[in-house]
Amino acid sequence: LAPTSASREQLHAREGGVAIPHLVPLPLLGRSHRRETTASAAMAAAAAAAEPKTKYDRQLRIWGDQGQAALEKASICLLNCGPTGTEALKNLVLGGIGSVTVVDGSKVEQSDLGNNFLLDEGCLGQSRAKSICSFLQELNDAVKAKYVEESPATMIDTNPSFFSQFTVVLATQLPESSLLKLDSICRSANIVLVAARSYGLTGLVRVSIKEHCVIESKPDHSLDDLRLHNPWPELKQFAKSIDICDKDPVVHKHTPYIVILVRLAEKWADAHDGQLPSTRQEKREFKDLIRAHMLNVDEDNYKEAVESSYKVSVTPGISDEIRQIIDDSSSEVNFSSSDFWVLVASLKEFIANEGNGELPLEGTIPDMTSLTEVLCKLTKDLPS
Amino acid sequence: PSRAAKVLMVGAGGIGCELLKTLALSGFSDIHVIDLDTIEVSNLNRQFLFRKSHVGQSKAHVARDAILKFRPNINIESHHANVKDAQFNVDFFKQFNVVLNGLDNLDARRHVNRLCLAAEVPLVESGTTGFLGQVTVHVKGKTECYECQPKPIPKSYPVCTITSTPSKFVHCIVWAKELLFAKLFGDKNQDNDLNVHSKDGSSSKLDVFERDVDEDLDQYAQRIYDHVFGYNIEVALENEETWKNRRRPNPVYIRDTLPEAVKQNGSSWDCSNDHEEPSAMASLGLTNPQEIWTLAENSRVLLEAFKLFFEKREKEIGNLVFDKDDQLAVEFVTAAANIRAHSFGIPLHSLFEAKGVAGNIVHAVATTNAIIAGLIVIEAIKVLQDDYKNYRMTYCLEHPTKKLLLMPVEPFEPNPSCYVCSETPLLLDVNTKVTKLKEVIDKIIKSKLGMNLPLVMIGSTLVFEDGDGLEEDEAANYALNLEKVLAELPAPVINGTKLTVEDFQQELSCSINIKHREEFDEEKEPDGMVLSGWSAPVEKQINSNGENKSAASSSSARATDDTVEDPSKPGMKRKLDELLETKENCDASSSAQVVEDDDDCTMLDGNPALIKKKRLQ
Repeated sequence: LAPTSASREQLHAREGGVAIPHLVPLPLLGRSHRRETTASAAMAAAAAAAEPKTKYDRQLRIWGDQGQAALEKASICLLNCGPTGTEALKNLVLGGIGSVTVVDGSKVEQSDLGNNFLLDEGCLGQSRAKSICSFLQELNDAVKAKYVEESPATMIDTNPSFFSQFTVVLATQLPESSLLKLDSICRSANIVLVAARSYGLTGLVRVSIKEHCVIESKPDHSLDDLRLHNPWPELKQFAKSIDICDKDPVVHKHTPYIVILVRLAEKWADAHDGQLPSTRQEKREFKDLIRAHMLNVDEDNYKEAVESSYKVSVTPGISDEIRQIIDDSSSEVNFSSSDFWVLVASLKEFIANEGNGELPLEGTIPDMTSLTEVLCKLTKDLPS
Repeated sequence: PSRAAKVLMVGAGGIGCELLKTLALSGFSDIHVIDLDTIEVSNLNRQFLFRKSHVGQSKAHVARDAILKFRPNINIESHHANVKDAQFNVDFFKQFNVVLNGLDNLDARRHVNRLCLAAEVPLVESGTTGFLGQVTVHVKGKTECYECQPKPIPKSYPVCTITSTPSKFVHCIVWAKELLFAKLFGDKNQDNDLNVHSKDGSSSKLDVFERDVDEDLDQYAQRIYDHVFGYNIEVALENEETWKNRRRPNPVYIRDTLPEAVKQNGSSWDCSNDHEEPSAMASLGLTNPQEIWTLAENSRVLLEAFKLFFEKREKEIGNLVFDKDDQLAVEFVTAAANIRAHSFGIPLHSLFEAKGVAGNIVHAVATTNAIIAGLIVIEAIKVLQDDYKNYRMTYCLEHPTKKLLLMPVEPFEPNPSCYVCSETPLLLDVNTKVTKLKEVIDKIIKSKLGMNLPLVMIGSTLVFEDGDGLEEDEAANYALNLEKVLAELPAPVINGTKLTVEDFQQELSCSINIKHREEFDEEKEPDGMVLSGWSAPVEKQINSNGENKSAASSSSARATDDTVEDPSKPGMKRKLDELLETKENCDASSSAQVVEDDDDCTMLDGNPALIKKKRLQ
């Protein structure tokens, strides 16, 4: 086989999309495979579906259908619609939030004019909440904009159950005393609270939310941890089976970097009392060791090995952060535990048993310069 | 400072709307706005000064009217025009205290940069892409100009990848757009790399793409289908060498993908509805643009779209250029790209995804623009107060790095080898015996150097001038010169000759030293000429004491372990650029590769049409 550079795309299936728990995509915007049988019905459906798709096109390309559905299902309560609150609502309304309810007891005064881009002279004397709502409605008629002419402090004190209908409460320019009360109301109703204040050129935003699960479907730094500092038996064997000193230039420049690292790490450990490079000096020397093995300057696999050489210096065992999660009392699961904690509980068991104190491996291999046949063999050798 | 200042805003789109609002709310009362665009539906999720009822109207004018509603007593002058127009000359720019850019393409940004330098007016630049954004400050003599750091050029693909060996979906899109669509519906006089020879030479036509007299539309469509997806692939397969290390493509014929279509000659699907926009999807009952069609469905869409162009839009054929807002064109290109992708074992994509790739659509949301607009005004105020020690380049990140979502970085000093704001001569490697003046002007002077209306002189001989107001004989003379090879110009250009190139409007002048070279690598140097002499600057920052410190080269080396550098140190800038240049985490449909913008303000930009077309020809 002639050498080719194999890449992740060719070896692995495409990942699934983002999973957002608890939300159901709206049928109109979800992936639908139903077809209308007559052309005119199709056109009507197309026209109806097309408009929000066109309007939201640019943001759909960021968060997709499910993100958009989450937005459209949400209801926001804004407390105080001064410039800060208005600016926030503007963004949410433009994006297609399900509904907004503005709670503000004040009337539009002179000082509001020129200060709030959603108010003009015609609003003077009227309810500020009402005026803001009608402008917001103009921005996006798909959003339900409602208002309550009441001061937020009063609402918090006299009618706390009002808030349980919302997904998010956005409290702007509220004093601490009100915020504290509001926070406990929101927490017990499991509602997200976002508190914001602004003064001139400074501002503050705080989010108060109970423990919840966030799934990073496309992490920036995938760990691609092949546990090079403590390779599993098949990988060790595989690495041994390859002659890294093979003088054939084609073979030499296509030895996968993980093999290079495993072999050279072993060589290092043999010369250093079983220890892997740990100090800065040692890490530098290890890199020099790798470079010394290069036959010529354009060997990408060796460059990859040098770049990834730090991976052999990873502290073995489990990191403190993971240890903290595993040791958390929530990992003692029962029937009411969330999926996340069930997974943690299983992880804990794995580490104690099959894992021998180590975490399970990811099960995929990163992109690397190699011969296709070698990569295929490597994939097969991964532990199940 | 805001009350007295006269501000120019270039662009009234995503950033522009937010910026105009923020300027007005911050007390600015003398504002000019330039924007050549009209309002589209897809703008409405973020360009909040516009309503559905405004679609089709001028952005600059509507924005102005919307602002005056809540701030009636300020002065806003709106220009529905291209900032590159002659009326916006140096004198025009000189009247402003600061210029604020909210543009969506590199070309215009460079143009404005030069005018600001010439007029000695500070420029605050900006751009956004999804959740990423940045604001930069450019003050002549104090900081880098916008062009001191070379900007990434838009991605282009080698011709053979597009015509013969596609491996990614984007290659198929480029083929469908620039070759097939252009060949069938575009300017017939343009060069095109599609194979036009037919199978058996039985037809006397030179060009198999031409419709026979009285040829039935169905038959014509199917014939073209078989030619590009069947025959051309078989021809390509004959070249063993190409496929030694590559997956062999599968030829696709209509008799296999749509057997019933072959028999149904003459009858088309129900498209008797005379609604506004002909659409193959609508005719075929396909309603979901996010659905990935099967090979058969793609084939039906292709044939249907093909026929609809001829049946309903015949007058436009021969003049059409692909437009992402042209539904039928998008359907055609999607279907064609998918069929080709199928042949080559590349995953198929939905119309939504394909449109993003073909139209270079950039994802955009209101919040990032609002943040950036706020930062622009903050920098503008510093500029107006001459607070140069506090100028910052601010990068808005998607995820906090070192707990910062907004990273401020001190600006760098001007690059002494920047040909725009300093006087360094450039070097051009070119074959003077074979290259025409026209090529140098198009590929180098207009494209790479970004000059709009250049003037080319050799010594005291003027060999070319562009613009209005030329005498007939002058124009004729220049036209002749364009077609001459360099060595044969009235003042011959040979090894060692120095060209002086100027653009009056941009007040930019630079010299290009010519070095004659005969051989150019087809893959690496496809233009047949190489411009050099414009090097990346040594990083020198102005620190808070007003002193200059140079970066030691070792400190700017990229960390290979995970330590993140301190944002105020040099080298951070380069790291940020690298960070910002990766776009993988940007879109929801991971398969769509968004290249650069067409619609809204971005940081990574370019003029795709210009560069891609040139690559293919």
